[in-house]
Amino acid sequence: MNNKIKNIVVSAIFIVFMVVFVSMCVVAYFNPVETSESERRPLAQFPEEITWEGILDKTVIDEFEDYTVDQFPMREFFRSLKAKFQLKVLNLRENNGLTEVDGTIAKIEPDFNPDLIDYSVGRLEYVYNKYLADNGGDKFVAIVPDKNYFLGRDYGYPAPDYAGLVETVKERLPGMTYVDIFECLELSDYYRTDTHWSQDKIGAVVDKLAAEMGISDRLSGQYRENRLEGFKGVYYLQSALHPTPDTLVYLTNDVLDACTVYDYETQKTYGIYNFEKFEGNDGYDFFLSGTRALLRIDNPNATTDEELIIFRDSFGSSLTPLLVEGYKSIYVVDIRYVMPDMLGMMQIDFEGKDVLFLYSALVLNQKAFK
Amino acid sequence: MLFSSISFMYYFLAAVLILYFAVPFKFKNLVLLVSSLFFYFYGEPIYTLLMLATTLSSYIHGLLIDRFRGRTLSKVFLWSSVITSLGALGFFKYSDFFIHNINNVTGSDISLLGLALPIGISFYTFQTMSYTIDVYRGDAKVQKSFVRLATYVALFPQLIAGPIVRYTTVEEDLSQRTHSFEKFSSGVTRFVIGLSKKVLIADTLGTLARTMHASDEASVVGYWLYAIAVSLQLYFDFSGYSDMAIGLGRIFGFRFLENFNYPFISKSIGEFWRRWHMSLGTWFRDYVYIPMGGNRVSVPRWLLNTLTVWFLTGFWHGADWTFILWGLYFALFLVLEKFWLNKFFAKIPRVFSHIYVCVLILISFVLFNANGMSGAIADIGSMFGAGGLPFWTSETGYYLGGYAVVLACAIFGATPALKTLVLKLKEHKTANMVLNVLEPIFVVGMLLIVTAYFVDGSFSPFLYFRF
Repeated sequence: MNNKIKNIVVSAIFIVFMVVFVSMCVVAYFNPVETSESERRPLAQFPEEITWEGILDKTVIDEFEDYTVDQFPMREFFRSLKAKFQLKVLNLRENNGLTEVDGTIAKIEPDFNPDLIDYSVGRLEYVYNKYLADNGGDKFVAIVPDKNYFLGRDYGYPAPDYAGLVETVKERLPGMTYVDIFECLELSDYYRTDTHWSQDKIGAVVDKLAAEMGISDRLSGQYRENRLEGFKGVYYLQSALHPTPDTLVYLTNDVLDACTVYDYETQKTYGIYNFEKFEGNDGYDFFLSGTRALLRIDNPNATTDEELIIFRDSFGSSLTPLLVEGYKSIYVVDIRYVMPDMLGMMQIDFEGKDVLFLYSALVLNQKAFK
Repeated sequence: MLFSSISFMYYFLAAVLILYFAVPFKFKNLVLLVSSLFFYFYGEPIYTLLMLATTLSSYIHGLLIDRFRGRTLSKVFLWSSVITSLGALGFFKYSDFFIHNINNVTGSDISLLGLALPIGISFYTFQTMSYTIDVYRGDAKVQKSFVRLATYVALFPQLIAGPIVRYTTVEEDLSQRTHSFEKFSSGVTRFVIGLSKKVLIADTLGTLARTMHASDEASVVGYWLYAIAVSLQLYFDFSGYSDMAIGLGRIFGFRFLENFNYPFISKSIGEFWRRWHMSLGTWFRDYVYIPMGGNRVSVPRWLLNTLTVWFLTGFWHGADWTFILWGLYFALFLVLEKFWLNKFFAKIPRVFSHIYVCVLILISFVLFNANGMSGAIADIGSMFGAGGLPFWTSETGYYLGGYAVVLACAIFGATPALKTLVLKLKEHKTANMVLNVLEPIFVVGMLLIVTAYFVDGSFSPFLYFRF
C-alpha cells in the first residue's frame, strides 16, 4: 500500500467508524436502555427538561454527559474490552477495583474507612447494650473476612487492617466471646464470581463456632451435596471478564429438610432453600430467601429446647442452616433491614438465649446498619 | 467539553466534520467559529461572553494600532490592549491570590471574590496579546474580518489547553487553506495518538500518583515512584492534548507548531525548556525576555531578565506560591548552568547530565503538583527520607510491579526511539508498505480501546484545563 492509498484508507476508515457509531447513537436515542444488569443500576436517560437555567448552571449539560456515556451502543462489549485491555495488555492488577487471582474475582480494598467501622461496630454495641448485656445467655461474635484478606495474606495485595478491626470489635464488645474463623478459610472457599463463601466449604467455620458455642455434639455434620449449575455472582457481570459461572452447592439432610422458615415481614413460611430466588438477579438469595429483616427457623427434630439468635448479613444465610441441628429455633435478624429499636416489639425474647453476631468485614465497612 | 469524552467524539466532532466539509470554503471559518463558541459555551456558558469581549477588544485595538501606525496613539492603543487583556486575566485568575496575600501581610480581612477561573483564559489571553503586539510590530497584518480573528482565538482544537498558537502561524491558513486526504489522515492519526496518550497512559499514571501520594505505607522509593508517575502523567497529558490539537487542526487544514519535543531526553534545564511547552517558552522569549534586552546585557540585568521571565512563567501556571517557586527553581538552575554547570557537565559522561536533568525535573513536578508550600516541603522531604520514612514497603513493591508495564511504556514513549525507528523503516519501500497497512489498523484499534475507556467512565479532566 503506497502513501496515497494509505491516506485514503485511514480517512475512509475513520469516517466509516464515526458514521457507524453515530448512527448507533441515534438508534440508541430512540431505544434507551433502562438499567444496567451488570452494574445493577439505572442508566442515565436523555435530559427530561431542557431549560435556560439548566443550561447556564450546567445541570442539563451534566445530565447529557451522563446520558452519552450510559447509553452508548454496545456498552457491555466496550466494558469487557476495557477490562481485558487493562488486565491483560497493560497488565494492571485491577479494573474498577476488581482483580482476578487464580480465576477468582475479588475487590481490592486497601483500607477500611475508620468512620464506617466506628459506625457499624457502634450499632452492634447498641444492640448488645439494649438487649443482650443482661440476658443470661452465651454471646459470641465472629467476623467473616472478605476475599481481600486472602489477597493480602497470600498474594501480596494491599489489604485493610483486619487485626485492627478485630481489636476494635473485641474492645467495643467485651461481653461477647470473639470467635476467630479467619484461619478456617481460604480464598478457594469463596465463589469465584461472588463475594460470598460456598456453603460446602465452610465446615471448618461451623466446627469452630459450634465448639465455642458448646453445641458440637448436637451437629451431625452429615449432609448430602446438591448442585445448581450456572451461578453468576455479583462479580460475574461487574468484572466484564466473562468468567465461567460457579456451581452453587447446597447441603441437605433429613433435619434440614424438615425445618421451616417463618418470615415475620411477609408472615409466610418457607423452606430453608428457595429455588425461585436462584433464578433471580442474585442467585445467592437461594439461601434463606436472601436478605430478610427477621426470620425464625424451627427445627421439629431438635434434641434440645435451646434457642439461638443470629444477627447476620448475607454470609449468615448459608451458614445458619448448618447450625440448625443444635437448636430448637434460630432467630435470624438483619439490622440492615430492621431498626434495632424495633426488635423489642417483634416477639423476640432475648432472655437466656445464645446470641451470635456474624458479620462480614465487607458490611462492617459500609453504612449498612439502621 | 473534554476531547476524551463520548460527547466530543461522537456528537460534537461528528457534527462539526459533517457541517465543515459540507459547506463551501467561504463559510468554513463561520462553521468553525460557531462550533468553537458552542464548544466553549458547553463547558463555560457564562464566560463565553468574556472570551468574545476579549476577542472584540483585540479586534478593535488591532484596527486602531494599524490606523494610527507610526504615531504615539498606536503605542497607546497597544498598551491599552495589553492592559485590557492582562486586566481580565489578572481579575479572574489572580484576584484571590492578591487579596489572600494582602490579608496575610496587613492583617486585613478583605473578602475573597471566589470567582471560577474561566477555562482556557491563560491561553486565549496570550494569543490575543500576541496578535496586537505582532500587529504593532508589523509582524502581522491587521485582521479586518472579525469572523477570522474570532475563529483564530476561539478555534476549538487549541482553545482550552493550547498550544499557544500565534496569529502569525495561522494568519495565512485563516484566509486560504487546503484540505486533502494526506492532511485529514495524518490529522486523524495524530489525534488518535494524542487521545491514546491521554486516556491510556496519563490517566493510568494519574491513578498511580494519587495512590502513592495517599498511601498509608509510604516509603522513600514510593515517593520517587510518585514523582515519576506525576512527571510522566503531566507529560503525556499535556503532550497528548497538544497532539490532539495539532491533529484536529490538520483535519481542518491548519498547521499548528509543535509544542513538545521529547523533553525528558534533555541534558540541561535550558534544553528541557526548549523541548517542553515550546509555545509558552517562545512566547515569553519573544514578548518579555527579548524586549527586556535578552542576554545581550550586563550580568545583573541578565539576572533580572531571567528572574522576571521565570517568575512570570511560574505565575502563569497558577495563582499560588508553589507555582512561583516552581518557576524560580528553574531560573536558579538556568543561572547555575550558564556560569558553572554546563562547563562541568561538558567534561563528564553525558549520562550524568541526563540524570541531573531527570532528578531536577522529577522534584520540580512534585513541587508543581503539591498542595501548597507545606505540602511541597513534605512531599520533597519524603523523597529524601524525611520523617523517618522506610526506604521500601511491600505496598511500594506491589504498585511498582502492578504498574511496571505502563511505566515502561511511558518511559519508552517519552524518548524519540519509536519515532526514529518508524522514520528509518519508512525509508525502505517494503517496510513503509507494512507500516501503511498497520496505520489504519492502529487507528481503529486505538479508537475502540479509548472508546471502551470512555464508556467505562474512566475519563478525567485535562490537567491543563485550569491554567
